[in-house]
Amino acid sequence: MLEELASAFPILTCILFLPVIGAAVLWLFDDEDMVKTSALTIALLELALSIFVLLRFIPDSAAMQFSEHVPWIPALGISYHLAVDGISVLFVGLTAFLTVLIVIYSWDTVRHQMKLYMMALLALETTTMGVFLSIDLILFFVFWELMLIPSYFLIKLWGGGAERHYAALKFVLYTLLGSVFMLVGIALLDINFHQWATLRHMERTYSFDLLELLSVPIPLGQQILIFWLLFLGFAFKAPVFPFHTWLADALLEGPIGMAVVLGGLKLGTFGFIRFSIPLLPDASKSQTVVAVTMALGLAAILYGAIMALIQQDFRRLLAFSSISHLGFVVVGLFALNYQGLQGSLLTMINLGFSTAGLFFIAGFLHSRQQSTQLGAFGGMAKQTPLLASFFLFIGLASIGLPGTNGFVGEFLILLGTFKANWLYGGIAVTGVIFSAAYFLWYYERSMLGPLGKAVKNTISDLHFREILIASALSVMILWIGLYPSPFLRMINGSVQALVDRLERGTVASIDSKPLITVD
Amino acid sequence: MTFALTISPSDLLLLLPEILLTFWLCLILIIDFSFPRLRNEQLAYFSIAGLVATLGCLVWFDVADITGALFGNMFVLDGMALFFKIFIVGSTILVVLASIDFIHRFKFFRGEFYFLVVMSALGMMFMASANDLLSVFVALEFSTLGLYVLVSYLRDDMASNEAGVKFFILGIFAAALLAYGISLVYGETGKLVFSDMTSAQATPGLAIGFLLIFAALGFKIGAVPFHSWIPDTYHGSPTPVTAFLSIAPKGAAFAILLRMFFVSLATFKPVWILLLVATSVLSMTYGNIVAIAQKNMKRLLAYSGIAQIGNVLIGLATGTKMGSDAMLFYLLTYLFANLGAFAVVIAVSEAIGSDEIDDYSGLGRRSPFLAFSMLIFLLSLAGVPPLAGFIGKLYIFVAAVKEGLYLLITVGLINVVISMYYYLIVVKKMYVTEPHDRSPLKVSGSMKAVVYVCLAGTLAIGIYPQPVTDWVVSAVMMFSHLADPTASLPVPPAVVPFGG
Repeated sequence: MLEELASAFPILTCILFLPVIGAAVLWLFDDEDMVKTSALTIALLELALSIFVLLRFIPDSAAMQFSEHVPWIPALGISYHLAVDGISVLFVGLTAFLTVLIVIYSWDTVRHQMKLYMMALLALETTTMGVFLSIDLILFFVFWELMLIPSYFLIKLWGGGAERHYAALKFVLYTLLGSVFMLVGIALLDINFHQWATLRHMERTYSFDLLELLSVPIPLGQQILIFWLLFLGFAFKAPVFPFHTWLADALLEGPIGMAVVLGGLKLGTFGFIRFSIPLLPDASKSQTVVAVTMALGLAAILYGAIMALIQQDFRRLLAFSSISHLGFVVVGLFALNYQGLQGSLLTMINLGFSTAGLFFIAGFLHSRQQSTQLGAFGGMAKQTPLLASFFLFIGLASIGLPGTNGFVGEFLILLGTFKANWLYGGIAVTGVIFSAAYFLWYYERSMLGPLGKAVKNTISDLHFREILIASALSVMILWIGLYPSPFLRMINGSVQALVDRLERGTVASIDSKPLITVD
Repeated sequence: MTFALTISPSDLLLLLPEILLTFWLCLILIIDFSFPRLRNEQLAYFSIAGLVATLGCLVWFDVADITGALFGNMFVLDGMALFFKIFIVGSTILVVLASIDFIHRFKFFRGEFYFLVVMSALGMMFMASANDLLSVFVALEFSTLGLYVLVSYLRDDMASNEAGVKFFILGIFAAALLAYGISLVYGETGKLVFSDMTSAQATPGLAIGFLLIFAALGFKIGAVPFHSWIPDTYHGSPTPVTAFLSIAPKGAAFAILLRMFFVSLATFKPVWILLLVATSVLSMTYGNIVAIAQKNMKRLLAYSGIAQIGNVLIGLATGTKMGSDAMLFYLLTYLFANLGAFAVVIAVSEAIGSDEIDDYSGLGRRSPFLAFSMLIFLLSLAGVPPLAGFIGKLYIFVAAVKEGLYLLITVGLINVVISMYYYLIVVKKMYVTEPHDRSPLKVSGSMKAVVYVCLAGTLAIGIYPQPVTDWVVSAVMMFSHLADPTASLPVPPAVVPFGG
């Protein structure tokens, strides 16, 4: 059982609800400048709160910190339980950070219904925070599903592409399809708790609380069933190959702000490390699960990279490179050792800077050429040196150049994978080569060489707000790349606890020997 | 069999809500005849006053825990009956309030409209208390009688007449089935009261008898394959009557189904579970798939209603206490979301004179309030958290997982995705498609009140369901012996050797 540190002040509740309350306040304003300024203020305030949590977070500890626990629906054992630990704390900071950047980016790129856009964005921030902060599975599910509503409107109303209606619907239905299976998995976990608690004459016989469910021994067959049900939910959202078909559409058709959230915040793989692996350690270790997830992960690495190689559209390329990167994350997770888990977790955070950064770059390109097709670019480095430099730098981070954050994460993943199985490691390494190929090739064709036909001589370089966004991301990329230890220390404690739990399995996690087997 | 009909004043107290409503019914009729110049709203508010008084009385019974049985157990007043009566009276109040704007479309007999609505509600209250096959028959026919007239109230409208004829013919057919089923069951067992039949022997006659009764009640709730009257009747009826039909009779019929399956037939659970699983799967799948193709909002809600009833049947199929809790809870969430959606339909059709989904284009600009309310109601029907519908679906699914009804859950969950699709089509029309006409819509005060109540219910039950779960759990305490199978597992020694 994990230790829990309650906080005197409900800071996580503030973080959770500040954006949505802010969104409600925005409703009152009519002036567009007022709306933008208030949205930025709210986002910055949220970032300040998140930084406060990051600073006060005790590193190298597996404890659930800043915990808040209030019963919500006792009849079903559902509680309002928020906490952060090493696994989730960095995501909270990342979400707040990216939202600030999106607000800044949207300053003059959103052309209509600014107020509604900012409201949807802030509502999306609340739901995303909810996913990262919830310890109760139903609370988690509530936010997981709620995310769809602002996302749907963001893609539909502010998307640039002609197919945005189709993309929005596809996104919602795919994610919903996955999450209904997840709900069955969650219900099965609850039933296992119920049987266990009834036999032990416990007072509460229903619970969806992660920390309480951790102490329930679940038979292996059940664990594997629940694992696959949860897997579907997380895999559709992540998306893990072959559940990825919605991603390219949503990223291409949706607004840049939405693409940054979808591409930068790896909610699906977060679900694996937050719930699947700790709750179902025996299933996660079992041979079939490891074989299938590894195969899917490796297939995703190669498929994503090869598909990215042939894309003409930069956003499509990013979509497939995201799929490839997620393959790395999945492979690292199911290496199931310390380095693999640590590397995956760090890579998820890294992608929040590099992939999201590239989406911002795509936005910069789009606002100059009204397109992200390759044909619209060519030799732009001469005209827009700043844009080209940031493009190169963030791109190199995303392919894992040493000295950038991407290197640390990918290196740890590969280390873990080689430790687990040299064959898997060997295949994964080829993905690194491919990713260098697709990025550099695209970069060369779009930025270097003679000036493209479609590029006007009058094209302008980055302006102040864009420089601000790009340099904020670059600072983070360099920081994690050169001095990752503060970040690694934050996640170490929880990763170590997770590795210990994987070694012990569920049955042994009870203090004494199990007397009853429930099936 | 002898009847000893002795009624004491304390017995009459149990009938107080019904007596009160009967008096009020007569008053409505008398006032309508005596003051022909009385405006319709005034009569409506007068009816609402009576219904509110009845509701108050029911709530008092529920809080004070006043229960009992009358007339040789033909009429029982227990927690469940009280729940359903509150459900019925509550929905009737909202329907009457929502019909005030609509009533001008009727050329004649405007006053009688309220009389008929309240009369049907009275019949349904008796259905909620019916504990005997005879009282089931009488109460059911009593409530349906009013509905036959209400459905065809738009006399000059062909669709309304068609709806009335269809409903009448199929309704009479269902009544015949019910009567035949009752006679078979009585012939086999010699008993009429539900709780006396628990030890009945399984004979073919009994099985056919109960199947016929189930078919008749299936007609009332509109489950597939007894649903054929629903789309046309819902489409053709005056919209407030459609709203009424989609809620109140369902609640009353589920009260009877619960008594029949959970009391009389509790020992035959392995047999009827298949029947209910099949009905539920068919209702959910058929309702949702056909709803996709609908162009008319009322028809869409009709088919989505069939699917929602399929969800409620999941709870019935579990045959456990938790299943019945979940059913009651689900019905309550359905009441707010569905009535709210119909209220928006009434308000929109008042303003633009159409129920076609195409005419909902740009509702988000023309009336942000109506569009937002519709969004919330549809999302609640689809089961999106944190709205009431989500908690309802969760409750039902947890109860079903506990019983291991995996087929039902899989079908139910896939249907959630399908239903999201057609609800989103409406959302898209409201928020994305450009309107033909940009003029803002006017919404009357009474309509706003209905929508606000439904919004409040949908949000409040979703965000803080605790009081409601407590209520439904205590309402069906009578089924607490139908516990889950884990209770029968061997119990470990009282001193648990390892820390708990």
